[in-house]
Amino acid sequence: MLALVTVPFVLPTVVVALGFRSLFGNAIPNGLLLVVLAHAYINIAVVIRLVGAQWSTLDQRMEVTASTLGASPLRVFVSVTLPALRNSIVLAASVVFIFCFSSLGIVVVLGDGSGTRTLEQVLLRSTSVLLDFPTALAAALLQLTIVSLVFVISARISRNEPRAKVVFERVVVRGAKPTFIVALTCLVATIFVLGPAASIFWASISSTSGPTLQWWVDLVSVENTRIGSPLAALGRSLGLASVTAVIAAILGGAIAIAVMSKKAIISTLAIIPLGVSAVTLGLGILLAFSRGTFDLRATGALIPITHALIAIPIVVAVATPSLRNVDPRQYFVALSLGAAPLRAWWTAFGAVFSGVMAAAGGLAAAVSLGEFGAATLLSRADSPTVPVQIERLLSKPGESAFATAGVLSVILIVLTMSLLLIVDRIASRKVFT
Amino acid sequence: MSNSDPIKTGLRVHNLVIGYQQPLTSALNFSVGPGEILVIVGQSGCGKSTLLSTLAGVIQPLDGGIFLDEQNLSGVPIHKRSIGLVFQDPLLFPHLSLIDNIGYSLRVSGQSKDASRARATELLEWVGLSEIAGQKTWQLSGGQAGRVALARAIAAQPAVLLLDEPYSALDSPTRLRLLADVKDLVTREGIPTIHVTHDHSEAEMLATSIVTL
Repeated sequence: MLALVTVPFVLPTVVVALGFRSLFGNAIPNGLLLVVLAHAYINIAVVIRLVGAQWSTLDQRMEVTASTLGASPLRVFVSVTLPALRNSIVLAASVVFIFCFSSLGIVVVLGDGSGTRTLEQVLLRSTSVLLDFPTALAAALLQLTIVSLVFVISARISRNEPRAKVVFERVVVRGAKPTFIVALTCLVATIFVLGPAASIFWASISSTSGPTLQWWVDLVSVENTRIGSPLAALGRSLGLASVTAVIAAILGGAIAIAVMSKKAIISTLAIIPLGVSAVTLGLGILLAFSRGTFDLRATGALIPITHALIAIPIVVAVATPSLRNVDPRQYFVALSLGAAPLRAWWTAFGAVFSGVMAAAGGLAAAVSLGEFGAATLLSRADSPTVPVQIERLLSKPGESAFATAGVLSVILIVLTMSLLLIVDRIASRKVFT
Repeated sequence: MSNSDPIKTGLRVHNLVIGYQQPLTSALNFSVGPGEILVIVGQSGCGKSTLLSTLAGVIQPLDGGIFLDEQNLSGVPIHKRSIGLVFQDPLLFPHLSLIDNIGYSLRVSGQSKDASRARATELLEWVGLSEIAGQKTWQLSGGQAGRVALARAIAAQPAVLLLDEPYSALDSPTRLRLLADVKDLVTREGIPTIHVTHDHSEAEMLATSIVTL
């Protein structure tokens, strides 16, 4: 169930947006409600992962103690469980706020124009349409300031209280009523998670006259979209994802090694991109690499560099714990057996490091495949990535454009999920544990 | 069960079989009356803690019955049993002050904040910690936290007190001093008490009667 509810978080945002538009049709028109629902859908995994992780390690004897003192189950939850989860709830709320605050794909596809226009859209429009860089920079600075404030407030609210180290075995729920409630929750969660994805799949194999594979067959046709070949966009996205994977694995690996060596400042620097929106990062990269000998605009390197920057915090987060799990005494054993320092390091850390880099590369590629904001800003009009192509298709009228967007979304879902499954297989290898 | 009911005959266990899916013990029969301390001894893993969890209502028995003042506790939820449970760790609520920890059961039962704090202050004084009332729970020593946990359990006026190897993580002099306080308290207040330990000398010091699992 945990893996299932994580699916929305790893789906590309434009794909989620398409899923919601397809699922609700005319029942819920584009606007604030649909935008909020789609963001809730994506971020439910953040809350479950962060709050659930703390909840699962709470010492249940604390709740039992409150019960023996006369507190009803509801009272126990309110007066003991919730306060104990406070830090993770605050953290989850701030992370969700930041993700939503800098979200672009969903707002572009599901928004109603001026009524739902966000700072991120102002930033994108100022940069790519109006070429009004002062306004774009002001918007970026305002965004950074608000994100920083959220981080500071979140840190102030969270209390740094020591927690009991003892993990008490949680009582297994038995009985018809609890089992029914758990089963009902799982059913609702499954429908909620799979509904939009199933809706996209259905859109890709149906037309007004019934089920059809026409849209899949037509994928190779350039003419059907009038905005470029979907297959070309797919090839472009795969190429960019591969380059991103290499850059992120190399840079992320180097940073992970530095972090492992207790360089706290590097650790802090590495997570900064997490708090910055993709469009802002793209703008920064565009400004940094658009003059003199560092003018990379014509090389096509700006997108993978930006995507790598977005992925590096994730790479570092994945790589560092695995590397820290290796007993450093192995390095000294290898040295004492006559290995040169580099050889000794590879003997101790090599197996884990190579696996970590493969997993990190896969994650970075998955991030790149679905990334929309920076790609919208940095890709040329005649060479969109798949998410950009999907958004363009959705802005066109007609059944064909919508269905082709559905086909591309299904392909993107399959590619992203396959990459993540491979990463999961690598990460669960015994050498990592 | 009401916390304010006077204790009549205490706790009686009849043909009680405990365990999760398989029985951990044969059928158990024992009783503990007002002011008595029944000590349960046994090796690690023999089911001592499971027995206390079953008596408190955390775990359902596989068979048999638990009677408090001859009322069958079958189906009575934990918070209505009036059975106090003190674990090996003090498990103080970290977000509450010491006073509010001790007064927790009084607030839960509907007493005003002032009344519960007044009673909690008395109990804090009774356990000899009034001078540290302003400290945070995590600033307490193991012995101090143990005393607060005991005061919190006593504040609820339990009909039965269950002690699951409390203070076993403390040094020996502190543990023995706390256990002496417990013995003095439950005898004076007439609270039927079941104490679990693997230490036979501790059992002999406290027990009115001993059951070996």
